Amino acid sequence: MNKGLIAAAIAVFAFAVVGTAAVAKTGGTASPAQVAACTNVSLGFLGPLTGPAGFLGQEQLSWLRFGIQKYNKAEGTRFKVALGDTQLKAPVARTVARRFVGNRGVMAVIGGSESQAVRVSGNLFEKAALASISGSATAIDLTKGRPYTTFFRVVPNDAVQGPDIINFVSGTLKAKNVVIIDSQDDYSVPLAGAVSRGLRGKNVTVSRESVSADDTDFSSIVANVGSNVNVVIFATQVATAANTLSNQLREQGKRAIVFGTDGAYSPSQFKPRSGYVSVFAPDLHFDPKARAIVREYRRFVKKDTTGAFGPATYMAGWVAMVAIEKACADGNATRAEVVRMVRTTNVPSIIGANIRFDRKGDLRGGGEFVIYKITNGKYSPVG
Amino acid sequence: VDWDKLVQLLVNGATLGSVYALVALGFSMVYGILKLLNLAHGDVLMVGAFVGWGVLGWLGGAQDPSVAVWLLIVLMVLAAMAGCGFLGVAIERFAYRPLRRAPRIAPLISALGVSFFIQNSVLLLFGANFRSYDSFDLVDVEVGISWGPLNVWIIRLVVIGAALAMMIALWLLVTRTKLGKAMRATAIDREAAAMMGIDVDRVIVKTFFIGSALAGAAGVLVGLVFGSINHFMGFGYGLKGFTAAVVGGIGSIPGAMFGGIFIGLAEAFSVGYIEDLTRGRLGSAFSDLIVFLILVVFMLLRPQGIFGKPEVKKV
Repeated sequence: MNKGLIAAAIAVFAFAVVGTAAVAKTGGTASPAQVAACTNVSLGFLGPLTGPAGFLGQEQLSWLRFGIQKYNKAEGTRFKVALGDTQLKAPVARTVARRFVGNRGVMAVIGGSESQAVRVSGNLFEKAALASISGSATAIDLTKGRPYTTFFRVVPNDAVQGPDIINFVSGTLKAKNVVIIDSQDDYSVPLAGAVSRGLRGKNVTVSRESVSADDTDFSSIVANVGSNVNVVIFATQVATAANTLSNQLREQGKRAIVFGTDGAYSPSQFKPRSGYVSVFAPDLHFDPKARAIVREYRRFVKKDTTGAFGPATYMAGWVAMVAIEKACADGNATRAEVVRMVRTTNVPSIIGANIRFDRKGDLRGGGEFVIYKITNGKYSPVG
Repeated sequence: VDWDKLVQLLVNGATLGSVYALVALGFSMVYGILKLLNLAHGDVLMVGAFVGWGVLGWLGGAQDPSVAVWLLIVLMVLAAMAGCGFLGVAIERFAYRPLRRAPRIAPLISALGVSFFIQNSVLLLFGANFRSYDSFDLVDVEVGISWGPLNVWIIRLVVIGAALAMMIALWLLVTRTKLGKAMRATAIDREAAAMMGIDVDRVIVKTFFIGSALAGAAGVLVGLVFGSINHFMGFGYGLKGFTAAVVGGIGSIPGAMFGGIFIGLAEAFSVGYIEDLTRGRLGSAFSDLIVFLILVVFMLLRPQGIFGKPEVKKV
């Protein structure tokens, strides 16, 4: 019986080794050189559809779907979307990325929405020559030194956001004493570090605090905020957290206001009595030229979920579809061809100037962040 | 010493500690009677938070409640207590009772399974987005007590007061009622209690109902005071509640109350002072390190906890 057991164990082990080797060899992937028929093409969406930032991912997906429907109608194409929920967790994002790489129909990925998702998926997409175009990942190092040659973004990066916040807080708000809070993730720690260095360079007194991304109580952090602190800069991806922080500051009679970074942009969830938020793309509600497309979008979704995140992802999808259509001019396309076409993008944008990429995959000219002032929960652009 | 900060941290710690104490009570009651670590207890708190959120929405939401605010809060707490009480009874009936005579590892694994089951069921029903109580709209944060530079939001006082009231009620129930006597007898020796005519099954069911109801109330209090809830919040509160129960002496009701407040204060003070004490080497991010270090130290130096008695076995 023991011999039988040993034989069975060896057979299972051998099967596992052979199976693993086979999967490793193919990587479970479609080859970069593989030629796809252009009749069944999908855009993979890599973003948080559930989890603390689920509301942002849903807005992005909704605008992506709107863009696909609009493009298909205008160009007679049949693009579809393949969903990939990262839950705002890096390991989940990597698993989803593998799935996209292995899906022959996916010719470009829209995302990752968050910087950590790009960081864990970038090399997989690069190996598969699969273009990924983000409408919200802003961490500087995603393009610094070009670590992922198939990654592009249609929004400015934190090299723009950091100085914008520094200039606004030290110049416009004339803050002398600032607390900066990060949320212990790949997005917020470098941004908080860069902003704190920049503010110190402008003779602003800065103290650092740190919370977990899942935290819902900041009252003890608030107890550390001195009465002479003017601004609390919160680098977060969770708008409800920024809202709680703002209310707990008021609760403890602190006069400091919250300045949220792009993840906090949500008129329905971050609604302090007084505060600011910076974001990588304009909210189209404040742009008279965008009234028509906002109206069209409302008709598409039956309700208004427009913030700053959706339109940028709409543009990321648009860039991908233009590139795929160009690559498909002869009826077939490879993923590598799509990447080449994305590189030469030059399309008009609903969120700013024409989208063109520099050799690192960033917006040519850098783009600009928008700062909104919030008064009694109402947003208005100020810079 | 910055006295304002010290007193503010005391209030913050007491709020957190009240919640931990309610969770720890559930752990302690069940452990006392069944010698079982009900690892799904934190998830019962999460269900309570969602029940409260449902009642809040049903009664018009925070911006436009259809009943008086105090009544709304009472209804939310009562609904969560009832819902979670019955959930606790169901968990006992289907996940633990069939394993009562099994080795102790079996119900522990079953408890883990129940925890994942509840978490994923809520994920399926409500999605994974953070849900907001919007309690800052329900009662403005400036409504409360102001004493010099110290400001305490009235909801925080409601949380501390409600938790204290529930703890006192439980204490009276355990020490002054027939059910309490039966619970204590079952905890000391289940078989002897049965021989004395106590319906042990019924006592266990009632214990689960009460413990889970307290967790449900804690869930609503968390939603009210911190504003947002989500399907995985139970894990953190469960873990801290368990730590509180161990520090206080698992199985001991006063121990659970003390442990909860102790852990809440330790967490608040570590956030407030860790940077000063370590000369900037450690920041507020490491407050959990202090909390769980306390657990390790207690396990090493006084494994029975502050109020627990060392187990003596007759040989």
